[in-house]
Amino acid sequence: MKPIATTRSATGVPTGRLAVWWLLASEVVIFGGLLGSYLMMRLGHPEWADAAMHTNTWIGATNTFVLLTSSFTAVLAHQAAEKGDGKKAAGLLVLTIGGALTFLAIKSFEWYTEISHGYTITANNFWSFYYTAAGLHALHVIAGAIIMGFIAWDAFRGKELQRVELIGIYWHFVDVVWIFLFPLLYIAK
Amino acid sequence: MSEENQKQGDDGQHDDGHHVNYAKIYVTLLILFAISVMGPFVGEMTGIKLITLITAFGIAFVKANLVIQNFMHLRWEKKLMKWMLMSSLVVVALFVAGVAPDVYNHEGDNWDNLAAKAAVERGIAGGEHDVEEDHAEEEPAAEVATAGFNAASSYAMICASCHGAAGAGDGAAGALLDPPPANFTDPTFWSTRDDARIKTAIRDGGASVGVSPLMAPWGALYDDEQLDAMVEYVKSFNPGGE
Repeated sequence: MKPIATTRSATGVPTGRLAVWWLLASEVVIFGGLLGSYLMMRLGHPEWADAAMHTNTWIGATNTFVLLTSSFTAVLAHQAAEKGDGKKAAGLLVLTIGGALTFLAIKSFEWYTEISHGYTITANNFWSFYYTAAGLHALHVIAGAIIMGFIAWDAFRGKELQRVELIGIYWHFVDVVWIFLFPLLYIAK
Repeated sequence: MSEENQKQGDDGQHDDGHHVNYAKIYVTLLILFAISVMGPFVGEMTGIKLITLITAFGIAFVKANLVIQNFMHLRWEKKLMKWMLMSSLVVVALFVAGVAPDVYNHEGDNWDNLAAKAAVERGIAGGEHDVEEDHAEEEPAAEVATAGFNAASSYAMICASCHGAAGAGDGAAGALLDPPPANFTDPTFWSTRDDARIKTAIRDGGASVGVSPLMAPWGALYDDEQLDAMVEYVKSFNPGGE
């Protein structure tokens, strides 16, 4: 028997999809509160510009490109799943996971460089926000990659293809958060 | 968005009937991304900081909207979803609006946030002592010192009064010294000397190498590189040298 979230659609929207949007609505508050606080602090503290000078725009830009591309492969996976092509959807999800891993590898290198130069989470308030916001985002990338792994496994066997869309919606949200983190942490200096 | 698509969305039918050209959206996102990266350069060139802000944050909203509408298919979702997300955004907006005066402003009609003001002061002053900036400041300073340094003129100014302009130990101030100043033109002098000893003598004085304490220490005047240069210059008086 299929899980109830897969079959029931009391609101006219499949319950699984409703749940993902519900999750994202709560994520909006989490990231919105964090980024809103950062923005207020940043505007009230001109001296943060000194610290922000030291973030690496090109690393941030590369990661933006990686996430945008992984969003593209995620939506193509959704398209393939709608056509019932589970194998293709799984392949595209694996590519998306590749994007997630690339993102994390670049981020590790970036953080390693910064921490070894003394820019740690306790250096000052700017770096506290930097590591908290990007760190919380990175946790979402890790979670998304793991879930995508399970869904790709099923999709390859033609099972639970509707889930490809669900993880896609979540993944695009992770992309959207980064779209805002990029100018906040890397461009506005 | 066509009526037909709207209808499909409302029916909960989620096939590929949206006719979204995903590749086109992706390319548009990449172009916007490129503009947002170039923004700061244009802003710097023209001196208009507003350009950076618009390309950074304006484009972020456009990109986010493209992703949300076309990749997440929010434009085909039921209104319920839009209201749900909007409620979250309203909560965030209320939070920011409520907290902003305490965080963003450091003074109001009846209050001053002294701690925050002090943090700004400290931060701006502290920024000058940043790890990397210290290096940046030191390097030019060292360059200036090196550029102003010349072994020959330094010898003429400091050493020649005793050791003689030509290194023969016949400087006017040295005439009465006992033992007399070293004669650098005497090959026998050089037979008992090496670079390290000369360097030590210049830096720490004659007493440090067991010769006349009247040879003063000059270490405070020269850095290591300059000491080496002085040694080389003094050696140039050696008739047996290369």
